[in-house]
Amino acid sequence: MLFVRYYLWFAPQVLSIVVLIGSVRRGLPRKLPIFFSYLVFTLVQFLTLFTISRMHPFPVLKYRLLLTLGTGINGFLILAVIYEVAEDLLLSRSALALSLRTLLRWTAAMLLLAAAIVSAALSRFDLGRAMNVFQVLDFSTSVVQCGLLLALFLFSHAFHLSWRSPATGVALGFGIDASLELANAAVLALLGRSGFIATDVAGMAAYHVSVLIWLVYVFLPERAPRFAGAGLQKSDIEFWDQEVQRMVRR
Amino acid sequence: MIVPLLVALVGVLALFLIIYLAKGHHATGCDVDALAAQLRPLDVNAFRNLIDEREEKFLRELLPGKEFRRVHRERTLAAVEYVKCAAQNAAILIRLAEAAKQAPDPAVSAAAEKLLDNALRLRLHAFHVVPRLYLGMLVPRTALAPRFVADGYDALTRQVVMLGCLQYPTRGMSSAL
Repeated sequence: MLFVRYYLWFAPQVLSIVVLIGSVRRGLPRKLPIFFSYLVFTLVQFLTLFTISRMHPFPVLKYRLLLTLGTGINGFLILAVIYEVAEDLLLSRSALALSLRTLLRWTAAMLLLAAAIVSAALSRFDLGRAMNVFQVLDFSTSVVQCGLLLALFLFSHAFHLSWRSPATGVALGFGIDASLELANAAVLALLGRSGFIATDVAGMAAYHVSVLIWLVYVFLPERAPRFAGAGLQKSDIEFWDQEVQRMVRR
Repeated sequence: MIVPLLVALVGVLALFLIIYLAKGHHATGCDVDALAAQLRPLDVNAFRNLIDEREEKFLRELLPGKEFRRVHRERTLAAVEYVKCAAQNAAILIRLAEAAKQAPDPAVSAAAEKLLDNALRLRLHAFHVVPRLYLGMLVPRTALAPRFVADGYDALTRQVVMLGCLQYPTRGMSSAL
């Protein structure tokens, strides 16, 4: 079990470095700068926490403080990444911008409210302060993250918009991580302290899956929809010219 | 006990829904020619007639109350079908315009961008109109005439023709519309 825990702590970080390299090669820091910053931040956070965990004696308070602070910054960055993905895929389209921006703002506000209510409800099941500030922050971020990503996917589905590979990967990775974290938080609330290690491992596994998805999408060639068939011919131009004239006359 | 179980269930459902929706985006992203074949013909003039307020007023004066409500309901249901068909065609045109946007010719790309913008606008309007039409069916005189759907569809058809003029493979789409 110890090996699995260490593997799940280290492997996603190593894979994140590969994702970062792939992102740079594909020019993602220009397209999705906040996602790039998020990856860099998670690596810095990991290195800091790992260094502290190696200290003797182990500074528990300092570790927890940094973990909570990191979770807060992480949550903020994740929401910014979702906004960045939404801006790139949906909000940049002038026909949808106004309606969807308003709808997304309302969705985010409702999700924040829901996160606050459910956090309060879950904390009643908490035994021995298992549900501390870190967990509330983590859970609230997961609720908002999951809801916003679902809304984004549903909007795109409703408008039949195709998503480009890296953005879909980013959204899918965060979506899987957030939904599993939601389920995880509920299990932790049910089990209390005894379930802490199991849910911690499950949370790390969810993040591992997310990083693997980003890795696949970063190296996957982009599949733009294309027409099949030959090029423009003179007869076609004449045909369409007649069509245009007929339409204009109508 | 119930709240954590509900949260866990929501998490698992969200997971499956996200995977399903993300998969859908890729599955329909490539075969554009097959999409063009799915376009359904739509008689815009017949649709205009269905949503014409003068026509409705005329029927109201001509028919007894019960008969008018029956005819009005049938006309509204037919209008809903037209709007759904227009929305479906707009969805297909969104995909086609996305594909045409990749064209190296800037004229084709610009025409596709315009088509995409209008197709999105039409689909957005259709989402607003369908509930209004149903409301109008239940409570006559409350529905707002969805004239802009017909106008938007007309404009869209012209843009498809323009795009077709610029790029070979969309030939024949205007006849389907």
